[in-house]
Amino acid sequence: MTVSYFPLHARRSTVNYEQRLEEAITQISNVLTMLPEFQQYQPRWLAIQLLEGDADVLQQLQVLPQSGTLLPMLDEIRTRLQAHYGDDLDVVLTDQRYTFVNRLVQQVMTRPAAHALTLSDKIDRVVTHRWLGIPIFLALMWIVFKITSDVAAPLLDWVDGVITGPITSWAVTLLTFAGVSGTWIESLAVDGIIAGVGGVLVFVPVLMSLYFALALLEDSGYMARAAFVMDRLMRTLGLHGKSFLPMIVGFGCTVPAIYATRTLEHEKDRILTGLLVPFMSCSARLPVYILLAAVFFPLYGGIIVFSMYLLGIIVAIVLGFIFKHTVFRGQEQIPFIMELPPYRLPTLKGIWFHMWEKTAAFVRKAWTIIMITSIVVWLLIAIPVGGSGSFADTDIDQSAFAAISGSFAQVFAPLGFGSWQSSGALLTGFVAKEVVVSTMAQIYGVDAEEEEQAEATTFFEDLGTIATSFGSAVFDTVRSIPLIVGINLFEAEEEEEPTALMDSIRNGFEESSGGHGALSALSFLVFVLLYTPCMVATAAARQEFGNRWMWVSVIGQFAVAWLVALIVFQGGVLLGLG
Amino acid sequence: MLQQVLHEIEQAQGTWSLTELARKLELEPGVLEGMIAFWVRKGRIAADRVEGQACSSGSCGDCAAGCPFAGAAPRTFRPVLIDPATISKQPEHPAE
Repeated sequence: MTVSYFPLHARRSTVNYEQRLEEAITQISNVLTMLPEFQQYQPRWLAIQLLEGDADVLQQLQVLPQSGTLLPMLDEIRTRLQAHYGDDLDVVLTDQRYTFVNRLVQQVMTRPAAHALTLSDKIDRVVTHRWLGIPIFLALMWIVFKITSDVAAPLLDWVDGVITGPITSWAVTLLTFAGVSGTWIESLAVDGIIAGVGGVLVFVPVLMSLYFALALLEDSGYMARAAFVMDRLMRTLGLHGKSFLPMIVGFGCTVPAIYATRTLEHEKDRILTGLLVPFMSCSARLPVYILLAAVFFPLYGGIIVFSMYLLGIIVAIVLGFIFKHTVFRGQEQIPFIMELPPYRLPTLKGIWFHMWEKTAAFVRKAWTIIMITSIVVWLLIAIPVGGSGSFADTDIDQSAFAAISGSFAQVFAPLGFGSWQSSGALLTGFVAKEVVVSTMAQIYGVDAEEEEQAEATTFFEDLGTIATSFGSAVFDTVRSIPLIVGINLFEAEEEEEPTALMDSIRNGFEESSGGHGALSALSFLVFVLLYTPCMVATAAARQEFGNRWMWVSVIGQFAVAWLVALIVFQGGVLLGLG
Repeated sequence: MLQQVLHEIEQAQGTWSLTELARKLELEPGVLEGMIAFWVRKGRIAADRVEGQACSSGSCGDCAAGCPFAGAAPRTFRPVLIDPATISKQPEHPAE
């Protein structure tokens, strides 16, 4: 592109409007010139403002004594011109200004014959390509989940070791000093709060790695492209293209995703998208996948997590397709333009900000909703129902929690997890999906406790262990990075021993499924992915779509989850898998 | 030119990116953004963005300052279908 330079004394170009407009401008200017109140302004500029209907200038005019004659004249001119142009005068005038500028630019600039592609354009040609776009999106998702499952694993183990080791031991020591050792207070602190909240907090490294990967995609400008690519797919299937925008948000949290449906124009589209959004796997479900994948599929964690996210998208698209052609048919598609920001190199500060913001929200949730739920679960576990136990000293199978959870465990029997432990975890998962994990840590942890014997250590020995194990975890995390591309630097080492909690969970699923533990765990994961969203998301659905659609969402999702989990388990058994 | 931009957006088949539309109209993307901003002020195009309003009710934990998960979605523009008879009922502040 080249630019011609005019000397400063060259002819000045002025905006000349069409003749009718120029006549009107001159007519109004002539009147305004005679008004002393407007002497500080250019009459031509003022006349244009009045034709465009500038509210401020009109207000100043209205208080003048001459307004009685001026305003009717102005109205007459505006009405006449609007009738002639068939549009608002500000549109006409602005349009003519743009035309003038465009003509001027063409006079002074010579553009290259072929439009030069920017780097963003070149990347977009590949990334948003009609056929390559979706495979690229899936490949990036795969990398994201490899990072969360493989790269974050050493740090997860470190946090787990710190919480179940030194922190639990310090809490027990403190409670012993306080003279409440062996009482229900110690049980509440260790089996309730530390097991419940700690059981969720161990996943902070996993979530941080997920937020890190998502921040990279968001800050680089790719996330907008992902929405653009998926939008085309949705539209091809007859769904509202913009439905995928809330769904992208749904990967983080279902609640803002439900509110994001407000960006859709029609109520039918909003409701349909609101029903589909909870099928997107929110980050709260990730700890459940990671936990059960570690127990049953230790070598395939990345595939399991990726499959869950993919299954959520597929179920949402299939159900959306069915609904769009039945209950929600007949809604015209409205075209739209999407702003794709230029690609940028993400900054460390920006990525840290995103990670910190989201992780902080997760940790706050752990200390509020999850802690309260853990206390309630502990209370129900402590209350004996039948048997010879007393408060906080009862067999867990004889507890109120087991009785309540067991009353509907049979509903899940065909899915391979008809135990009170699984149904109890799913029940508390309605409070928040992370609670599924904290409840499992509480109820399976009771069995595990009996098996684990910890060696007595001093406070300073514990601090030393924390520091050295952190160093090892960081080293292993770095060594895990090649796992993303399939290079395993850990092969020479022995496979890690499962913890007592993991053994306890494995035995529980094996028992409830008649020996098909892995299949029932997979079925459980599918159920967690698809079943009724958490209570806050349900409340958001009620607020946005009303009671009726909230119940459709709650019951419908439960039914879909039950059906798909049934197909996974019974289908797997029939095919001799697991 | 402004009318052409509005017409293209109203008649678009499917979803377009701002860059694609700018190339089609042979405009600089910045110029097109300015034109779209004009139509947004006029109420003929709606600009939608998922903002952090999601948790403003305070129902979702403690993120009243804005939901940290709501920022992922890009801004979109869509035509607003209006009755031509309603044009010019209210004066607008011009985009000069």
